[in-house]
Amino acid sequence: MGGVCSRKRDQQVVEDGMRRGVSGRYGKSGSSKWLLTSFSRPMVVHQPGLAICPSLMELCIDKICEDINQYSSFTMLPKDISQQIFNKLVLSHLLTDVFLQKFRDCALEDVWLGEYPGVQDSWMDVISSQGTSLLSVDLSGSDVTDIGLGLLKECSSLQALTFNHCENISEIGLKHISGLTNLTSLSFKKSAAITAEGMCAFSSLINLEKLDLERCTGIHGGFVHIKGLSKLESLNIRCCKCITDLDLKAISGLNNLKELQMSNSNITDFGLSYLRGLHKLVMLNLEGCNVTAGCLDSISALVALAFLNLGRCGLTDDGCDKFSGIESLKVLNLAFNNITDACLVHLKGLTNLESLNLDSCKIGDEGLANLTGLSLLKSLELSDTEVGSSGLRHLSGLTHLETLNLSFTLVTDSGLKKLSGLTALKSLNLDARQITDAGLSALTSLTGLVHLDLFGARISDTGTNYLRCFKNLQSLEICGGGLTDAGVKNIKDLPSLTLLNLSQNCNLTNKSLELISGMFCLIFSSSRLVVVFSVFQLSCFYERCALVMDFAFCVANAGLNALVSLNVSNSNITNDGLPYLKPLKNLRSLSLESCKVTAAEIKKLQSSALPNLVSFRPE
Amino acid sequence: MKKEDTVKLISAEGMEFVIDKEAAMVSQTIRNMLTSPGGFAEAEHGEVTFPEISAVILEKICQYFYWSLQYSRGKETEFHIEPELTLELMMAANYLHT
Repeated sequence: MGGVCSRKRDQQVVEDGMRRGVSGRYGKSGSSKWLLTSFSRPMVVHQPGLAICPSLMELCIDKICEDINQYSSFTMLPKDISQQIFNKLVLSHLLTDVFLQKFRDCALEDVWLGEYPGVQDSWMDVISSQGTSLLSVDLSGSDVTDIGLGLLKECSSLQALTFNHCENISEIGLKHISGLTNLTSLSFKKSAAITAEGMCAFSSLINLEKLDLERCTGIHGGFVHIKGLSKLESLNIRCCKCITDLDLKAISGLNNLKELQMSNSNITDFGLSYLRGLHKLVMLNLEGCNVTAGCLDSISALVALAFLNLGRCGLTDDGCDKFSGIESLKVLNLAFNNITDACLVHLKGLTNLESLNLDSCKIGDEGLANLTGLSLLKSLELSDTEVGSSGLRHLSGLTHLETLNLSFTLVTDSGLKKLSGLTALKSLNLDARQITDAGLSALTSLTGLVHLDLFGARISDTGTNYLRCFKNLQSLEICGGGLTDAGVKNIKDLPSLTLLNLSQNCNLTNKSLELISGMFCLIFSSSRLVVVFSVFQLSCFYERCALVMDFAFCVANAGLNALVSLNVSNSNITNDGLPYLKPLKNLRSLSLESCKVTAAEIKKLQSSALPNLVSFRPE
Repeated sequence: MKKEDTVKLISAEGMEFVIDKEAAMVSQTIRNMLTSPGGFAEAEHGEVTFPEISAVILEKICQYFYWSLQYSRGKETEFHIEPELTLELMMAANYLHT
């Protein structure tokens, strides 16, 4: 069950979702989460059948990029137009140091070259020539040195500066930015060269609202220099192992702090006592820190706190009675702690809670009785707990629940009817081996379901008949091995499906491809569909993540419907089935390992019908 | 073609282009001029003068309007732009929100 392990990893990203409030991102279902994550970015979904006409402006910009050699300078253009040309060159990876020269003195406002190849000091002269027009610069991952950074001194209007993992910047370079007092946002993630002394340069940046020093290893002792930055609202020092409790003393007076991220650092309960005065703090992330429940004393003084992440802190029940005092909490993450039902008693009064994560805690059925009064709960994560069928009766009153994760619990088919009244549910994860067709039959009232994860459940072809109740389903995973082509017939009629994972069903044949492909033809113009058949889930975890992102990109660009990734490995698919894939014009990745399929045939398909296929196996 | 279905676009030199209103409305700027209530004289007379846009550019823009209509109806052809016109055309496109 490689997929099982791969899913556990994405639990650490919770803090990224916190600011968006409760959403499906808290769901355990990896694929569903990626979908939501990737779709949460601004994206225009266009009407099917209507081509998106490029504007004349876009056409002209494309043309200029194409003929870029013919232009010596863009200074005669209004700055917003040269900005668009610049952005397009960056986006299409056409910008070189030679072409950059054409943008000298163009009054550009944004120079976003983060992770752009080849950026070095020789580029900085033109960048700094934008002068006081320049508002934001991102040179993350570049080879720019202190000298190059120094050239930005003249750009006194700069509001945002991002130099993440720039290895050639040292504390000497930092001195150059001390005069940029209009800066509101500064990011130096993973910059080993930033030292406590170097942070002295930050002390004059009085307008700074956001400071990101994630993964910096040398900043211990430097916080004394940011003491006076009274406008600071957001501080990220995640994974800064060097930070100690005394560093927190230095930031104890930053009264405007709303967001403080300190996960995976060596902070202890004592350090947190310095933060008691941060009355505006809304979000505190302590995941993976060396704190105990003793820190709740200090935390309960944070009257505005709504988001608290104490995941992976090794908490035990001792001292958990203090949870009852943090009534402002809306989102609480207690995943991967050694807490038991005895701790849940103290969550009873947290009636503002909208999201509660108890993943892998030692809780069981009796503990859930304490959640019955949390009527605002929208998201509840109970994966890998000892919760069983009898505990589910305590959840039947939580009618606002939208996301419920019961994967790897002891819940059986007989308990699932207790969930039938939770009609607000949008995402349900029942990835557990003991769940079968009978369990699915008890859920047909949940017609609002958008994501249903039955990854390891033993669903057979018969069970797929119940799926027709879930007309809104966008993602579905059934990978228990019990499906045949006959079951796929039922699945192909789900009108809203965007992601389908049918991996590990060894009996699926070419017929399934035909059905799926037919579905594409059928729904091609009316829906968005991605099929991800994945067997090697562990190794493909990040790949899938990237692919779903790519999918969003394709949808945004190509219109709709685009099968981007197809993995039917370890099935009875043969070379004869490949022609069915021809309508899947947007397919970028195809994996048919352990099938009777040859690399040569896939290559043929690639050159004749699948122009976007960039990765395939066997190769 | 009925007069009320057309609109006259006049270039800097005074060259007149009579085109379908539907085509002209591809431009957000022209659309606003022709549709804002009780405002522009343009709306009344169905005429818009562009003292900053030369005839050769305005002609190209009219071509684009019709190309755009076809494109959105599924005829996805390429729109050719002469390199020597690009900059001027782009300035006009910027003005016309096109």
